[in-house]
Amino acid sequence: MRMKRELKAYLFLAPALILSVTFFILPFLRSFASSFLKISQSGRILGFAGLGNYASILGNEYFIRSVLHTFVFAIVFVPLNALITLSAAALTRSGKHPVSEIVFFSPLAFSLSALALTMKQIFRGKVSIINRITGLGISWLSDSVSAMAVIVILGIFLDFAFDYMILYASFRSIDRRIIEAAELDGASGAQILMRIELPLIMPAFAAIVFLSVKDALLINAPVMILTEGGPFRSTETIMYYYYLEAFKSGNRAAESVISVIMTLSSAALMAIAGRRRK
Amino acid sequence: MRAIKRIAIIILCILIAFPLLYAFSMSFFSPSDFTDSYAHFLPGKLGFSNYRKAFSTRLFGRYILNSVLTAVLSMALRVAVSVSASFAFSHLAFRGRKALLIILLSTLFIPQDANLYQNYTTIARLSLLDTYLGIILPGIFSASAMLLMVSSCAMLDKDIYAAAQIDGSGDIRYIASILVHMIKPTLITVALQAFIGSFNSYLWPLLVTNKPRMRTIQIALTMLGFAEEGAYGAQFASIMVITLPFVALIAAGRKQIMKSLSETRMH
Repeated sequence: MRMKRELKAYLFLAPALILSVTFFILPFLRSFASSFLKISQSGRILGFAGLGNYASILGNEYFIRSVLHTFVFAIVFVPLNALITLSAAALTRSGKHPVSEIVFFSPLAFSLSALALTMKQIFRGKVSIINRITGLGISWLSDSVSAMAVIVILGIFLDFAFDYMILYASFRSIDRRIIEAAELDGASGAQILMRIELPLIMPAFAAIVFLSVKDALLINAPVMILTEGGPFRSTETIMYYYYLEAFKSGNRAAESVISVIMTLSSAALMAIAGRRRK
Repeated sequence: MRAIKRIAIIILCILIAFPLLYAFSMSFFSPSDFTDSYAHFLPGKLGFSNYRKAFSTRLFGRYILNSVLTAVLSMALRVAVSVSASFAFSHLAFRGRKALLIILLSTLFIPQDANLYQNYTTIARLSLLDTYLGIILPGIFSASAMLLMVSSCAMLDKDIYAAAQIDGSGDIRYIASILVHMIKPTLITVALQAFIGSFNSYLWPLLVTNKPRMRTIQIALTMLGFAEEGAYGAQFASIMVITLPFVALIAAGRKQIMKSLSETRMH
């Protein structure tokens, strides 16, 4: 009887276990093992590499530059994203702005490639709608600084709707009685926001910030569609570099080392996030 | 103060809505509207030739079908897999429970993007390239969805399960007719995330598909070749065809989505 009950539990667990082991745990272990081996392009193991792969990747100029680009992206993207989504949620938190809510939700319908292609047109060059609106004369995607700016803007649009939903839902789930009590005590709207509501939505806000840091570290597809790393490899991020090395150059050393580094850094990030929550 | 707030909301709305509105406008642009000496806000003249061109593209319907099918399958399978595992963790007693939970949740720390190449080789070795299964398989399990489900199942009253067993209803029946109703907000949140994640995914389906018939619409958009012929208008018409239905869905289902999100403990 007990045997049968336990067997049943394992059956219910089997799909999740098989999938998580096959597509998460084993791939990581394989990358980890390969990162210490010399492997040919065709996948043959040629010998033990020690830390040689790590040394060669960490010494590669383009890898170092991709790390730099990723950090630049993260440093601009994370605070801007947090500020914009928080303002949108705070401004509409009364729940009396149905039209704005729909507008703020709508980017959710816009898929990554659709949005990236739209941004490519909006910022397409000297004769572009963005230059007409702002009066600037920038060739956005042909200059390394402005190309990175466009990627940041695309990143914000990609995350905006989801982050807004979480923050807005968090604002709306605050117990109305607390706010009514504060109003009776004569607190102003700004005071209620700063002293009561913001502290209450902090956990949701922190979750969003950590998610956006993770998104920033792993950004790849937007770069791929928008700039293909250009101009002159100046917007290559770590994961785009990984993609090029793994799939275009068949560089197994770079593939495994970057995979290990990125997994460990996002694990570290998650660990920090988890500790903060306690 | 109130006026400033209003203005801020309006500015934000314009900024956020601009790409969508402009893409909509561009879906009516004629080729010359794109190549003019100044950038147009609105099309020179209104016509549906871009939409006709989009719909007459070979396999256009197939791309959309591929996307919808893989998104629906991923969503259904992710919900099924996580509900089934969460049921075991919260309702059944068995040896190794804690260890297995730790194994499953440890994958929270492993980003899928960092496994792109390894997962590609797995799918290739299973001969699943250019198949629906190959597109959806690695994305079915999600540690974060698992975590949401396990924690909402853990809060349930187990007496109901005991009562259902006494009434002679089997586990599957209990899950399908009782459990899923009790964790509905979490279920909707997980389903929504799975659908959006799969429908929007770009890199993975690009890697595992080669045959045009198996491409999803997201890949096709960047590869339809409109850009090469200078027929950008048709590209944006295609974008609108897949985007507008979702705008309508989101506007209609907004209340339900918000309700589910605010009732799901995400942190």
